[in-house]
Amino acid sequence: MTRTIFTRIAAALAMVALVATVAPVAQAQVNPTQSAVNEDALFQALGTGGSVSGRVTIPDQASGNLIVPDNKGWAVLQGQTLHTLSIVAVVGMIALLAVFYMLRGKIRIDGGPSGRKILRFNAVERFAHWTLASTFIILALTGLNLIIGKSVILPIVGESAFGTLSAWGKIAHNYLAWPFMAALVLIFLLWVIHNVPSKLDWQWIKMGGGILKKGVHPPARKFNAGQKLIFWAVIVGGAALSWTGIMLLFPAEAGTAADWQFYQTIHALVAAGLSALVIAHIYIGSVGMEGAFDAMGSGEVDENWAKEHHSLWVDEVKSTQARNTAQVQTPAE
Amino acid sequence: MLVKRRTREAAASGRLSQFAAGVAAKPLDRRSFLRASGLTVGGLAALGTLGAGMTRRVEAAGFTDQSQPIEVKTNMCTHCSVGCTVKAEVQNGVWVGQEPAWHSPINRGTHCAKGASVRELVHGDRRIKYPMKKVGGEWQRISWDQAYDEIAEKMGEIRQNSGADSVYLLGSAKFSNEGAYLFRKFAAFWGTNNVDHQARICHSTTVAGVANTWGYGAQTNSYNDIRNAKTVIFMGSNAAEAHPVSMQHILEGKETQNANVIVLDPRFTRTAAHATEFVRFRPGTDIAVIHGMLYHIFENGWEDSDYIAQRVWGMDQVREVVKDYTPDVVEDITGVDGETLKRVAEQFAKERPSTFIWCMGGTQHTVGTANVRAYNILLLATGNVGHEGTGANIFRGHCNVQGATDFGLDVGNLPCYYGLGEGAWRHWSRVWDVPYDYFVDRFDAVPAKGGRDARTPQQNMEVPGITSTRWFDAVTIDAEEIDQQDNIKAMIVFGHGGNTVPRMQDAQRGMDALDLLVVADPHPTTFAALHSRTDNTYLLPICTQFECSGSRTASNRSIQWGEKVVDPIFESDNDYAVIHALSERLGFADEMFKNYEMVEGKFGMEPTPESILREINRGAWSVGYTGQSPERLKAHMAHQEHFDLVTLRAKPDAPAEVQGDYYGLPWPCWGTAELRHPGTHILYNTNLHPMEGGGAFRPRFGLERDGETLLAEGSWPVGSEIEDGYPQFTYGVLRQLGWDEDLTPQELAVIRQVAGGDEEAMDGVSWSLDLSGGIQRVALEHGCVPYGNGKARAVAWNLPDPIPLHREPIYTARPDLVAQYPTNEDRRQQRMPNIGAVVQQDVVERGVASEFPIILTSGRLVEYEGGGEETRSNPWLAELKQDMFVEINPADAQARGIVDGGWVWVTGAEGGSRARVKALVTERVNPGLAFMPFHFAGWFQGEDQRGNYPEGTDPIVLGESVNVITTYGYDPVTGMHEGKVTLCQIAAA
Amino acid sequence: MARMKFLCDADRCIECQACVTACKNEHEVPWGINRRRVVTLNDGLPGERSVSMACMHCDDAPCAAVCPVDCFYTTADAVVLHNKDTCIGCGYCSYACPFGAPQYPRAANFGTRGKMDKCTYCSGGPEDDMSQAEYVKYGSNRLAEGKLPLCAEMCSTKALLAGDGDIIADIYRERVVTRGYGSGAWGWRTAYGETVSV
Repeated sequence: MTRTIFTRIAAALAMVALVATVAPVAQAQVNPTQSAVNEDALFQALGTGGSVSGRVTIPDQASGNLIVPDNKGWAVLQGQTLHTLSIVAVVGMIALLAVFYMLRGKIRIDGGPSGRKILRFNAVERFAHWTLASTFIILALTGLNLIIGKSVILPIVGESAFGTLSAWGKIAHNYLAWPFMAALVLIFLLWVIHNVPSKLDWQWIKMGGGILKKGVHPPARKFNAGQKLIFWAVIVGGAALSWTGIMLLFPAEAGTAADWQFYQTIHALVAAGLSALVIAHIYIGSVGMEGAFDAMGSGEVDENWAKEHHSLWVDEVKSTQARNTAQVQTPAE
Repeated sequence: MLVKRRTREAAASGRLSQFAAGVAAKPLDRRSFLRASGLTVGGLAALGTLGAGMTRRVEAAGFTDQSQPIEVKTNMCTHCSVGCTVKAEVQNGVWVGQEPAWHSPINRGTHCAKGASVRELVHGDRRIKYPMKKVGGEWQRISWDQAYDEIAEKMGEIRQNSGADSVYLLGSAKFSNEGAYLFRKFAAFWGTNNVDHQARICHSTTVAGVANTWGYGAQTNSYNDIRNAKTVIFMGSNAAEAHPVSMQHILEGKETQNANVIVLDPRFTRTAAHATEFVRFRPGTDIAVIHGMLYHIFENGWEDSDYIAQRVWGMDQVREVVKDYTPDVVEDITGVDGETLKRVAEQFAKERPSTFIWCMGGTQHTVGTANVRAYNILLLATGNVGHEGTGANIFRGHCNVQGATDFGLDVGNLPCYYGLGEGAWRHWSRVWDVPYDYFVDRFDAVPAKGGRDARTPQQNMEVPGITSTRWFDAVTIDAEEIDQQDNIKAMIVFGHGGNTVPRMQDAQRGMDALDLLVVADPHPTTFAALHSRTDNTYLLPICTQFECSGSRTASNRSIQWGEKVVDPIFESDNDYAVIHALSERLGFADEMFKNYEMVEGKFGMEPTPESILREINRGAWSVGYTGQSPERLKAHMAHQEHFDLVTLRAKPDAPAEVQGDYYGLPWPCWGTAELRHPGTHILYNTNLHPMEGGGAFRPRFGLERDGETLLAEGSWPVGSEIEDGYPQFTYGVLRQLGWDEDLTPQELAVIRQVAGGDEEAMDGVSWSLDLSGGIQRVALEHGCVPYGNGKARAVAWNLPDPIPLHREPIYTARPDLVAQYPTNEDRRQQRMPNIGAVVQQDVVERGVASEFPIILTSGRLVEYEGGGEETRSNPWLAELKQDMFVEINPADAQARGIVDGGWVWVTGAEGGSRARVKALVTERVNPGLAFMPFHFAGWFQGEDQRGNYPEGTDPIVLGESVNVITTYGYDPVTGMHEGKVTLCQIAAA
Repeated sequence: MARMKFLCDADRCIECQACVTACKNEHEVPWGINRRRVVTLNDGLPGERSVSMACMHCDDAPCAAVCPVDCFYTTADAVVLHNKDTCIGCGYCSYACPFGAPQYPRAANFGTRGKMDKCTYCSGGPEDDMSQAEYVKYGSNRLAEGKLPLCAEMCSTKALLAGDGDIIADIYRERVVTRGYGSGAWGWRTAYGETVSV
């Protein structure tokens, strides 16, 4: 899309050149009929960007753009490419997970549940997570609906119902974006400290996170490399979505129509990728792994689960607990 | 066949879809909520902020229920003079739709922005809804009766104290012919010649110049006929914006004839964009440009010598004058090089037929009449008047400015150019069936003052009144200086803007000083808002021409009958009824209206336009407004499809009632309606029999001059039994020719009656005074033109410049040229002093041109018209031009730090005048030239006057008026103002 | 079946705005909605041309391609119409349209544009032909009455042509041949992938 900006500048220069060639020369015969602009010449001057523009008397100066051929390019991108990409990302991820599930099945706690609980996420963390999660899901569904709903939902529910749903969806999307952004900031502040990459992550990755094979459990602190990946993807992707989303909500701030189109494209691409990733995240947090859901459910996880997946974190928690207990047992004198 | 939608709802029968549809349909449909809460009709603010989900429409107003009967009414656009037919679809008394009037030979279904939006005029959200007056500075609603009573009483007081001439009757080019005629008659019965209308400020100089050249003050050909032209010159005309539908004929002509279209203009206009040659010249130098062309024409022998010898007097004197306008001289004055003018002149002279089109760019000058004369001389020198594809195609302004001019809304004429002489008064007294002495009694005697002799009422009624360009001077000037009993004390303004004349600071002072101000108009004009009056100010809601019937005359002299579309909206009423009611209160209605069929109107009795037209038919012999009976005009409107696009003539297969006629019976349409004269498509056309619309130049300036005949030599219309020039026909001439035998006894009796029963005086009864039409009929039978067969005058010895000479504008950008080309000498005219020369001298001495280095010119926009209140109140138009602006060249803008769309102050050269407007930075104007449109008002020197309008009647768009900036300067013949050249300075605001 | 198109002959167009107000008049289009507009290229220079532009009713309309709710449909006359009941006012079509045709009742912030409005080629919308419901949402349905769009019918210089694409192309071609010049069928290559060659 930056290409568009450059080509637009080039086109503007070409327009100036074109205008210059027809500008009056002193004392020469001025034949306006012969010097009339024509569409062929203007299009050649345009090349691949910009617009055929002139003066209008109404306040909407954008209406001075007589023809903007490039808009068709965005239409193709939006109507076909992004449409296909979004379907591939979502359906592809689901298919991938289905295959994985069939091969690996649900990842059990090797040692079986111990029955002892250990607090993994406190209420604030869970609130932040679920705010983010719920808004994201709705944003993703409503957003996805705008891209692929017409080929998926419309045939099922019919035009007027689909229109109604989409209208509500659009409202939900526009307004839930704000709690989403707030939760995103909160999550970042709460967890960024735990998500700084470390050497351990490399080991974790080399061991495939231990999810590919039974009984393999690479050590991890509070967040393993996979979770860090999700974290940073959500933070970076969420920020990108937020920024481009705000631009889409306030088109006047976005700049030109081409800029808006650029933001829209980024928004859709990031949304598709992040959606796919989050689907995987949901998988592993629910059906994919025994005991994982509790972390965000009650906040307390089974100690055996924790030992298998976050051994170093368990150690940290234990030692902290021990210190705290000692302090409690030896009151200050 | 229309596919309404894909059948996708089949799948929508599922429960989910029903649920979803049920849940959400209502909240989304905010339109119905808004409609229920009455918010669908709102002002501008509402339109901007209260939008509902759907784009909203004013329901019922525009919806046509196809299952119900639709009445189609035919009327004409009430904006410019092209005369486009409007087809109105009416349902239950509501004008619901406008359809293309395909059959009109003039517009063939088309319109411009204004014509395509006339239906809004009878929505009329911002019209005056009921009579109002100002009490202690506040507008109050009053009844019509109260308004009439109070206005009549105050007029009576002013008459008592200051005389009848102290009441100024400003009429309108928006009147129907019948309304205009009635208003002029009203002035006669009131006893003043202070009656005028917009022609003063648009084409008064044209009428004076053209009539002084070849007889009549009108467009010689027609819009349609320009299709025949091989070369078309526009000079001071921007038809693309001012007369857009005319461009249909011109552009099609340009294409099919491969015609040269040459635009001579200081500004690159939308018309210029379609020219084959654009020539830019300095504003106010038209005469030098034309003489520069004539120089080449005479130098190279391109003139039409035969034509000149037969039909033109005095061209040799012109030849001598033009010798001084060498290419170098002309280039210095105008900025146009010799080669360009040579090329243009050669095309115009050799690639014939050629036509010359001008408008207010030519007329609104201190040299307006002389400009027009120069154009005429160019046409005469090249033999381009009096046949197809040629002529002076004068595009007039308002929808009925031609008709209103014809019917004497003019300080110097009774209806139909009879002048103000005793003969004229006696003629109209006979037509009106009122004794001549009645009118003498109505006029003031004028005392001796200012070194001028006293006048009796009889003398006073023959002295032209004060022009509309000077009315405010006549209010505030020292009473000694004004050539009538007293100053102007009252303005009765029917349908005339208050921002269309220069020097609005002075106009404001004039308005403040009046004893009585009455504005009768569909909209409160600038006359209602500019001043700070607190009392004695009245607004009368007049309906538009779509709410009454009557005829109107297009620029090409075609007369069209407009049918009432809907009844007058709100409490508005039509001109006929209002003039009648006022006459009643003033005590002369019985005499004035006795010839008319009176019917019950909306609030009282009113005359039918048909009966007024019949009276016109009985008296308007001088211009041939006698054959156009209401029945014939209505038949033309009903059978438009039978008229040829180019010749305007009804084809042989047309119904008998219109067969052979020219569309709209363009005047002159000689004789009585029974004579079935077809009208005259092209004036002075010797290629046709006079009974077929042929003619010749009119000899109205004597029979000889300097020992040379003023009658045509060797030229006569087809079928003429006199194969040479001849003077106008009188009973005496008929007797000399032995043609008096052809008169019927009845006609003879009428002629005798006109002569007052005096057998000797009968010889003097002319074609224009004979109320029987017999003299015209007999002349025509013998193939003769009733008014004679004379020569056009290249030299008009009765004008200040018999042969036009270049004269610098008063506020000139070239003070160095003033010594050689000074403006006209100071004089008294139309009861007022004209001190142009003194002002010009002062301008030169004070070095005004260096302080105000930019030439300011003015003109029209396509969306608006005239003073603009009506069009600026129409949201469909107002949306398209929301700000007053000044066009300024990029170089000038850059030097002043001005950006396109930014606010600027334009300061004028008189009285510290200034205007805050937006800058439109464009190459349309050259460096050193600025252009402002003249349709705006409601802001005055930075002050927003919206609050001065009665609530709800303020136009949507307000802006500064260009005429705040324009300056002193009046044509010595007609008092036309200088609207096209002044000086200004522009600075970023 | 006719393939309806618009063609603006810029060598005739004088920017008189009749098309604009005719449209306003016929459909009572509110302030701020400009279904049709006139753009002047090279304003003030020799070479200046004005072009009247509205929805061109494209082949493979880009607006329809991007519409999330698929509210657009094409009639048998190839007129591109939309269903306001389905429209969610997202604004995508306005970014996809090369001609600036889609209009909205309100300022565009926060996705509160309201239902999209555009030129209907004077042929209404999905409601019953010539019904009041159709009029209120879309304006009148001249095509159903057997008439063509009023903007073209009222064009002062007959610059704006409306009707079957082949017929108006022929009219334009004939004009260009007669007069020897033509600045082109503005927008055709973008809308229809072809231009009128002479």
